[in-house]
Amino acid sequence: MRLQELAQDVAHGVESRLATLSEAVFDPVIRLGVTGLARAGKTVFITSLVSNLLDRGRMPQLRAAAEGRIEAAWLQPQPDVTVPRFDYEAHRAALLGDDPRWPDSTRAISELRLSLRLRPSGLLGGLRGPRRLHLDIVDYPGEWLGDLALMDRSYQDWAEDRLTRLAARPEGAAFAAMARAEDASAALDENRARALHDAYVATLVALRGAGLSEVTPGRFLMPGELAGSPALTFAPLPRPASPGRGSLWREMERRFEAYKARVVRPFFRDHFARIDRQVVLVDALGAIHAGPAAVEDLRLAMAGVLSAFRPGRNGFLPELLRGRRVGRILFAATRADHLHHSQHARLAAILTALLRDAKDRADYAGAGTAAMAIASLRATTEAEATHQGRTVQGVRGTLLATGRPALMYPGDLPEDPARLLAPAREGAERWLDADYSVMAFAPARMQLSPGEGLPHIRLDRAAEFLLGDALR
Amino acid sequence: MTDRPDDPAPRRPGPVVIELDEAPGTGPDTAPPVPEPDQPATAMARLATAGAPAPGGSGWRWLFWAAGAALGFVLSVAAVSFVTGLLAANPVLGWVATVLFAALVLAALTVAAREWAAFLRLGRVEALRDRAAAAAAAADLPAARATVADLRRLYAGREDMRWPIARLDERLAEVMDADAALALAEDTLMTGPDEAARREIEAAARSVAAATALVPLALADVAVALAANLRMIRRIATIYGGRSGTLGSLRLLRRVFGHLLATGALAVTDDLISSVAGGGLVSKLSRRFGEGVVNGALTARVGIAAIEVCRPLPFAALPRPRIHAILGRALTGLFGDRPDP
Repeated sequence: MRLQELAQDVAHGVESRLATLSEAVFDPVIRLGVTGLARAGKTVFITSLVSNLLDRGRMPQLRAAAEGRIEAAWLQPQPDVTVPRFDYEAHRAALLGDDPRWPDSTRAISELRLSLRLRPSGLLGGLRGPRRLHLDIVDYPGEWLGDLALMDRSYQDWAEDRLTRLAARPEGAAFAAMARAEDASAALDENRARALHDAYVATLVALRGAGLSEVTPGRFLMPGELAGSPALTFAPLPRPASPGRGSLWREMERRFEAYKARVVRPFFRDHFARIDRQVVLVDALGAIHAGPAAVEDLRLAMAGVLSAFRPGRNGFLPELLRGRRVGRILFAATRADHLHHSQHARLAAILTALLRDAKDRADYAGAGTAAMAIASLRATTEAEATHQGRTVQGVRGTLLATGRPALMYPGDLPEDPARLLAPAREGAERWLDADYSVMAFAPARMQLSPGEGLPHIRLDRAAEFLLGDALR
Repeated sequence: MTDRPDDPAPRRPGPVVIELDEAPGTGPDTAPPVPEPDQPATAMARLATAGAPAPGGSGWRWLFWAAGAALGFVLSVAAVSFVTGLLAANPVLGWVATVLFAALVLAALTVAAREWAAFLRLGRVEALRDRAAAAAAAADLPAARATVADLRRLYAGREDMRWPIARLDERLAEVMDADAALALAEDTLMTGPDEAARREIEAAARSVAAATALVPLALADVAVALAANLRMIRRIATIYGGRSGTLGSLRLLRRVFGHLLATGALAVTDDLISSVAGGGLVSKLSRRFGEGVVNGALTARVGIAAIEVCRPLPFAALPRPRIHAILGRALTGLFGDRPDP
């Protein structure tokens, strides 16, 4: 199995080097990796980015658009023949319809290519004529992303970690007790394995319902076409003293390894190993709303995911020699439209502190990093109101749960992120000195003028950071 | 050990702990740093005081002020006694003189008021630039929005600004960052004036270069260059901030040359030198043509300094005009056949 993996990786490496070479000679391609756990807003981000690159009226902070150097943008049939196209039109229609709604959660992988025709600038601009730039973006279920952290772990290590953390949660205590009581050195019984698996999946669903992010393996929740196969039928079990051949534990370990080799690794290799710009979408507000445990869980999950990527500086020669690295990483706190703009900087600071390890690692490797609070689709307008004698700066929109218009003030985010992260790390039950409550808003009914993309907050700044140098 | 109250050596103070009822107002996170004794002032503090005038150097200013006041007093007393004398001698002529003097005073007041307004306008433009820079540095969105609103008011009456202002109004509410709001304002409102100012500079550089190269009289080219520069500075001020009066122009001139002095060395190494050296072939052909190129480059430099003094927003989103490009465009066809860049 190891040998086979290695051979596959080598073949893939050769292929990607060839692709790099052809890109360097012909049209450049930028692969934008949209990274985010489930419900972070990947699909809306991609939809809004594409919409605003096609109609650039709302992109004043994207220099190339403001200077009118993007002559045309075209949504191409994407080049990867085995992956479905990202259904941009359907998602846009869902957001812009008479009864606007958020797109359904993504169940399978999809991809799209946006080609830009750029007017050249600079000294030799007149000689070169317009050039082209292709932007490849992949959308996938966010649940799968957590799996990237599994690639470097053994079954025993993973299972122990899961069981310890499950035992500490009310949703997971029952399964942890059940797994600890299981005689894993007994011979494999498929029915028993399936029962354990089903119990584990039920636990994961409950955990996700409580707002937690670390729900590995992700395919258990979003199985796709692999549902029911042995590679997807395992559960964490403690290691017995002497697991014999053919025992339940050994079989689980084998399946775990198969899951890593056949599911996780190809997913990573095909879609993440070659990206050169990355945007990490994090629903920090949602986690703060869910409480300290969710914040700490989010931190751990994102740290595990981000350790799978290789940031670094790209150059022509190093790119050919050691493959492409992620040259720019944007850490974006989504749903900034649920906050008044006076709190955006604090949200970005909290996000930076949350992903501190990954950001430092990328900075050290020479990649460019930035953190900002964005809203891919702006669903609210800002408003002030007087509540119990004091003026609160909130936002106004239509509540998703009730469908009624409301003004929301989610609470005062602290200026120092440690006020949130330190209690979370120490395992506090609830926030000590403040309450946060973030209601979800439904997208508003919109009337777009010609030439305008979907309304957003700071998406143009994000695009400028991610793509600005390539558009120059 | 016995206690000796008559001992001249004082007792060393013992330990004290006083428990407080409430928490201190400032914690160690916000307390100012402990002062270091015997340290010279920081480099920045020394730099800040380096350019300040020496204390006690304002005696001359007082002298001029007093002389002006005395002279004005003498003139007004002379005028009053002249009119009263004339009234006594010949009432008709006296009334004519009174009306004439009244008209003179009225005209002087009108001019003074206009000059005052022009001064205020110049000051307002300068204040706008400072506020914009401060708002961008502090990432203060309300301040940036207020600055943009004032800028919009400055241009609200202008016909050529109607379309850019409409575009700004459309987009400004969507922008949530201070620097982005200012960049948007710069992008929409400053593009037109920048272009117009650039054309003014090109025209001035062209006429100065042509005069230097072609006018055969020794001092005539100096006069032409001076007139062209003055006109250019005045027009640039008009383009960016509305009319500037005569005194306003003088003050502007002083500021422009002050700016030139402050940034001169930098700019020469920046790109002036290549323009001067780039005139190489021309100056080989004719000394006067070479001088024309140099004078044109200097005029362009003055023009860019004028832009920097008059522009109500600092250059952030749009590129700063460069002497090389301006000169290339201005002198095309005058001395050589260069393709339009």
